[in-house]
Amino acid sequence: MSIVIPPPPDFTTHEAGGAEFNSATPTRTWYHYVLILASIVFAAVSVGFIGTILWNALPDFEHHTGTLLGGNGWQSPAGPFGGLAMIVGTLETSVVALVIAVVIGLGTSISIVFLLPRRFRNVVATLVELLAAVPSVVYGLWGFLVLAPWMLKTVIPWLNSWPFAKELFGNPGQQDGQSLLLASIVLAVMILPTFVAISREVISVVPNDLIEASLSLGATRWQMIREVVLPTAKIGLFGATFLALARATGETVAVALVAGGVANVQYHLLYPGTSIASWIATEFGEAQGNEIAALMALGVLLMLVNFGLSLISRGLVSRQRKVLAVV
Amino acid sequence: MSDMTELVEPVETGHQMRDEIRSISERSRARRQVRSRIMVVLCALALLVTAVPLVLLLFQLFNRGLPVVLHIGFYTQLPQTPSLIAPNATGGVSNAILGTLVLTLYASVMAIPVGVLVGVYLAESDSKLAATLRVISQTMAGAPSILMGLFAFSFIVRDLHVGFSAIAGSFALAVLMLPVIVISSEIAVRGVPHTLREAGLALGAKPHKVSMKIVLPAAVTGIVTGIILAISRAIGETAPVLLVIGGGYINSWKPLDPVSALPLSIYENAKSEWPSLRTEVWGIALVLVVFVFVLSLSARIWASRKQQAR
Repeated sequence: MSIVIPPPPDFTTHEAGGAEFNSATPTRTWYHYVLILASIVFAAVSVGFIGTILWNALPDFEHHTGTLLGGNGWQSPAGPFGGLAMIVGTLETSVVALVIAVVIGLGTSISIVFLLPRRFRNVVATLVELLAAVPSVVYGLWGFLVLAPWMLKTVIPWLNSWPFAKELFGNPGQQDGQSLLLASIVLAVMILPTFVAISREVISVVPNDLIEASLSLGATRWQMIREVVLPTAKIGLFGATFLALARATGETVAVALVAGGVANVQYHLLYPGTSIASWIATEFGEAQGNEIAALMALGVLLMLVNFGLSLISRGLVSRQRKVLAVV
Repeated sequence: MSDMTELVEPVETGHQMRDEIRSISERSRARRQVRSRIMVVLCALALLVTAVPLVLLLFQLFNRGLPVVLHIGFYTQLPQTPSLIAPNATGGVSNAILGTLVLTLYASVMAIPVGVLVGVYLAESDSKLAATLRVISQTMAGAPSILMGLFAFSFIVRDLHVGFSAIAGSFALAVLMLPVIVISSEIAVRGVPHTLREAGLALGAKPHKVSMKIVLPAAVTGIVTGIILAISRAIGETAPVLLVIGGGYINSWKPLDPVSALPLSIYENAKSEWPSLRTEVWGIALVLVVFVFVLSLSARIWASRKQQAR
């Protein structure tokens, strides 16, 4: 997950390309069949992808669905294999990361579009997209070797100096700095470029007429942004948010490096935890039999969440295109 | 304003009211402007907050990675496990570099032909199959990469009895690249003006000739850009290859041998207890990031230059 996928084309305004491939026309050539064959291969791979994971997860769903969704603790190799810790960990890390990334990312996109001098805009936009391409393992490495010691030395003592912080975040004492909070921070840094890349694009296509109209009515710069730009771009921004969330929930190795890899339900963010994807990655090497099925079942869970999120986000982004087409 | 006051005999109450309105409006404008300034400063601050960790990351990557990558042995030697006698003997990462190249090559061979053809089909057809494939490709494009690893493990490694191998890893990467190539090829082919195709058809060319000789050459920039972006995404993926390539410690290009890869050796060296391996890991990360940056920058520059030429 390191490249921003180009947005889907707007199929409503374009007419589908060649009329020659419509079933009504008789001129079907070998070329047409090659294309169909490739499409069938692609469809088969996709169906095989989903089917294989489902099939391998089936033994676990047959006997242990309750354990998977509600059980705490992961006893390798005999079981039971409880998935609650991973589900909770995934939720915590991705929601915290999303909140950080959306608040900061929105401000960043606004300042790239409205505050930066025109000649810097493209440079910064390209830079952001390059950073979105940095492999996630590099973010994980940085979090593991640089941020974790820094958390231990600076952030945790500072947090603990606040009242109620110990009750809220927990007080891990001397550990190696890996924690759910660190995982959230690394995730936030990682999804920021993705979120900024999309939200910048969404914000920058808000029609100039609207912006100038609001400014001419005496709105200040912030009023223009709040009353005109953000409402117009709202749906697309939600789409970007869901895409960032999908990326955060699916992230594997970065979380595996910094979260600590402890399968306990943990509501205090300073303690180590784990997430669905990173748990699959770290446990799969030594897994046998039933454990493989349980890990596949976790994979099914991850797939459902991710497909749901990406369907929502793509729907929202394409609806935004239609909104702007009307404006 | 001054004309008005001359015309209308100023009444005391009116005066007061006018002053009051004016002062209220001025106060509200001042307040609006203060609020605007505050929010604008906050936005600029957000830009700064975004930039700081990312700049720090890049700085530390170059700062710690450069001393490592300047040794020739880093590229030519096989990795060694440090021992108490020689704690700094880390060897090189030649197997990981070769492994990454081999994995990417095989994955491209599998994914590019199918991906481009499907993209062309989607752009030229509006059948039910095409509509379904469109949804599938957009959903698959965002699927977590670890799932590709699970797929390749169950299908290639276990069911087909191939074992941990380069081909299993490149299959996982190919599944990862496919939807990206499909989507970008479709966009590229759709971007070719209708008039070009119609001119070809009007001259009496067969539809497949028009498609291959006119539409594809016109769309090649977008298609190649999409392919490069897909490759640069696949090169950096750790999760799918982690499960299936086996982490071989030899230089091998054979599809059935276990191989290593740059992201995999980053992951493994980072977790190692040896300080020397933890130093070396920055060099591996630098090589990987340079790979990815060169790929995506060249795609961008090439695309924009072609666009200008047109």
